[in-house]
Amino acid sequence: MRYDVILIGGGLSSLVCGITLQKAGKRCLMVSAGQNALHFSSGTFGLLGKLPNGKEVSEPIAAIHKLGASHPYSKIGGGKIMEYAKATPQFFADCGIELKGNRNSNMYRLTPSGTLMPCWLALKETTVFPSRKERLRGRMLIVNFAGYLDFNTDFLAEGLEKMGVSVSRIADVKLPDVEHLRQNPTEMRSVNIARVMDREENWKQFAKEVADLLQGEEYVVIPEVFGLADPMVCEWLREMIPAEILFAGTMPPSVPGIRMQMLLKRAFVYAGGTFLMGDEVLASEVSEGRARSVRTANLGAIDVEADHFVLASGHFFAKGLLSTPKAVLEPVFGLDVSYPADRNSWYDIDFFAKQNYLGFGVETDQDFHPFKDGSPVGNLYVIGAELGGCNSLFEGSGAGVAIMTAFRAAEIIMNE
Amino acid sequence: MSTNTFDVIVIGGGVTGSGTARDCSMRGLKTLLVERHDIATGATGRNHGLLHSGARYAVSDPESARECILENRILKKIARHCIEETSGLFLSLPEDDLSYQDIFVKACGQAGIKAEVLDPKEALRLEPSANPLITGAVRVPDGAVDPFRLCASNMVDAKSHGCQVRMYTEVTGLVMEGETVTGVKVLDHLTGQPGEYYGSVIVNACGIWGHAVAGMAGIHIGMVPAKGSLLVFAHRVNDVVLNRCRRPANADILVPGDTVSVIGTTSTNIEFYDCDSLHVTPEEVNLLLGEGAKLAPVLNETRILRAYAGVRPLVSDDSDPSGRNISRGIVCLDHEVRDGVKGFVTITGGKLMTYRLMAELAADLVCRKLGHTARCMTAEVPLPGSEKGSLESISKRLWNVPTTLQKALVGRAGGSAKQIPLADDYAGSLVCECEEVSVSEVDAAIENLEVHNLLDLRRRTRVGMGTCQGELCAFRVAGRLAKAKSGAPKARADLKEFLNERWKGMYPVAWGDTLRESAYTQWVYSEILGIGEKL
Repeated sequence: MRYDVILIGGGLSSLVCGITLQKAGKRCLMVSAGQNALHFSSGTFGLLGKLPNGKEVSEPIAAIHKLGASHPYSKIGGGKIMEYAKATPQFFADCGIELKGNRNSNMYRLTPSGTLMPCWLALKETTVFPSRKERLRGRMLIVNFAGYLDFNTDFLAEGLEKMGVSVSRIADVKLPDVEHLRQNPTEMRSVNIARVMDREENWKQFAKEVADLLQGEEYVVIPEVFGLADPMVCEWLREMIPAEILFAGTMPPSVPGIRMQMLLKRAFVYAGGTFLMGDEVLASEVSEGRARSVRTANLGAIDVEADHFVLASGHFFAKGLLSTPKAVLEPVFGLDVSYPADRNSWYDIDFFAKQNYLGFGVETDQDFHPFKDGSPVGNLYVIGAELGGCNSLFEGSGAGVAIMTAFRAAEIIMNE
Repeated sequence: MSTNTFDVIVIGGGVTGSGTARDCSMRGLKTLLVERHDIATGATGRNHGLLHSGARYAVSDPESARECILENRILKKIARHCIEETSGLFLSLPEDDLSYQDIFVKACGQAGIKAEVLDPKEALRLEPSANPLITGAVRVPDGAVDPFRLCASNMVDAKSHGCQVRMYTEVTGLVMEGETVTGVKVLDHLTGQPGEYYGSVIVNACGIWGHAVAGMAGIHIGMVPAKGSLLVFAHRVNDVVLNRCRRPANADILVPGDTVSVIGTTSTNIEFYDCDSLHVTPEEVNLLLGEGAKLAPVLNETRILRAYAGVRPLVSDDSDPSGRNISRGIVCLDHEVRDGVKGFVTITGGKLMTYRLMAELAADLVCRKLGHTARCMTAEVPLPGSEKGSLESISKRLWNVPTTLQKALVGRAGGSAKQIPLADDYAGSLVCECEEVSVSEVDAAIENLEVHNLLDLRRRTRVGMGTCQGELCAFRVAGRLAKAKSGAPKARADLKEFLNERWKGMYPVAWGDTLRESAYTQWVYSEILGIGEKL
């Protein structure tokens, strides 16, 4: 079996790269183990929220020159980043995902705990504010589903009151279909509620109940569990509920994130890509500085060959990196990973401080070719969270690195 | 008597202090229990949770061994809901001298501990995780005890007998009249207010911190703080307690408890000023893992959930400076006799599972001082939760077909489960999926069990103690706590503290799946939930 490009991983980076290549006429195979970071994402993309020294960034593209040489953005270069940033909203719109935001300056999203965090672009329905100093005037109603524990109404109330509103009430809504979910105590989770709320009679009933609860409040906060199948539901809720709606996030899994994943996967498949769901690369062959073939769990003894390979299998959580007490490994190709030998320096004892281990990753050259035993692998590209050179969690750059490196790798492959 | 005056004031909310407070209040004494943090935050909550049979001490310390087996039998009656009767095996490995087994079995016999020599093959059938290379095995009546539940039950029962409980109340000094201790000066950390309480007898039940409390009365107790580190494994790899059949040494006990197994311990002498900030070192982790895998080789492939350490409250003796061979014997000091200071008693040494006897000795001394004649009832009267019937019969009585949720609840609360509704409207919703803790159990703990924050709640309900280490439940529980008790600002601060406390136990063992889980938790809380951001 032979493809032009084999992409390993089914998350944001792999999908963006695969869609771009497939649309450019490359025959792509994508091997996805299953869930990925999109399932847990916030519905917003960060490009750069903080510099490595902790200083907050308001204009992310303008700040890129302040990053070190090993940072993926520095390898791409400011001019290219600008170009890719410009192309990003249209790329997602073509996949059916409408984004908002000014690509030059950060916005602030409302987190599920009522705090604000910088983001670059956001799904159209997501609640964002143009600045940290945004003030809201008037009264606010916060609505939850009765018995739903993953939506922290009190934290949201505290955070939003700091922005100036007065929370007049926190109220519960009971809908028969949601009540039915509650019969099994583990079922009361965001995606299950979202599936229930996709049904027209349910979201209409919800809108009616919320409208009945309102006593002239200017704002109403509701959990982000609407529009899994069709984000238009969010618009219709805005029409039916006579107050400004703020959608606030829940505990993972993320409903907007899952929708985004479904749409990107569909775009890849519609463009003609082959998507292997629930499969895993178990073996690979590299010789004379080139990746030759891989074998997957489901395809068994078939060697799948390609001209180019893109490794986007994520960080520790996605098992793109593995660790032992002494070492950090990249399991698919056995690539060189940068990390300090002394395990004590992997961690900070403060949970909320910068954790070095989250910045470990595969080393690459300027074109994202990794090294195996010190030698570059010429037709292999590493993109997304698996890359070293940046601590994306600390910087708030996870989605940005995924998208930018995906575009970059696609461009290099197309130019070859 | 005024509201600030008591017959007896017990300092220390560990199991010894809670047990002493219970004993005193059951004997009709007006009792106050003060604790600077929460219950079970010292050595009580930082050990194996082993219900010793006494076999471990049979050779080296027959007196402790006899205390253990007697208390072992008593606790199986009065604290059933805190105990699992797992039995224990003492394994001889090829590197161990098998002739020790004879000495061991004989010493057990002399201490009154049933010790049954098993064929190694039979031992492996009984406990398949045991090292297949064993050359000998002896079965003894060891068990597992949940220290948090045991401590909470004592505290709750003390309250029901009229004891007043002040958590987060730190003793900052003693009130002295000449050579008599007449009360305690305190700082209430919840309100920030200082205060004084007066008592005819003050009991120092502060474990290693008792050294400092005695110092407030000008008394020196020679104590050696000996740090012991332990590892919690993510699965219950063994169902029977595994010990090495040799003289007690490092990392030679593997105890199953609820959903996990615990290996321990190390022993390192530390300074008193280090007792409040214990960190487990990579060397200790390596030692525990290396020795533990000799008992159960599967530990090499088992995920480690966390590492923790406690300080043994050993009263020093001129023997081994490592602290290992000092008798774990009970030390009950009447400072009037020892130091000429009246109205002041120290109870220390001992073990988790001899707490009741320690409490009895302390309460006897208190009663003698007060001329009070009521006798100790704690060896007969069960703790709340252990009153009647087996745990199985309790769940059958409460529910026709108990769900796993209900079984988990009865496992934790015993007979008290009947006060915790699961059937009504929203009560059964799950807060913690790893340990199956429901909203109503959380609410009941907040209501009845002196819960002030998330960490307290963990000690009462096992919330956040499972595989995910609070990854998902912490945010839910923080929300619940904000609603039911403390309001959002405090619940938010508690949540940060809770995550930091969980991380403290995870980073020493953060590789493999534990690192994966940490990375996910860090990402969920810092990035998605934005908990680290300022409001």
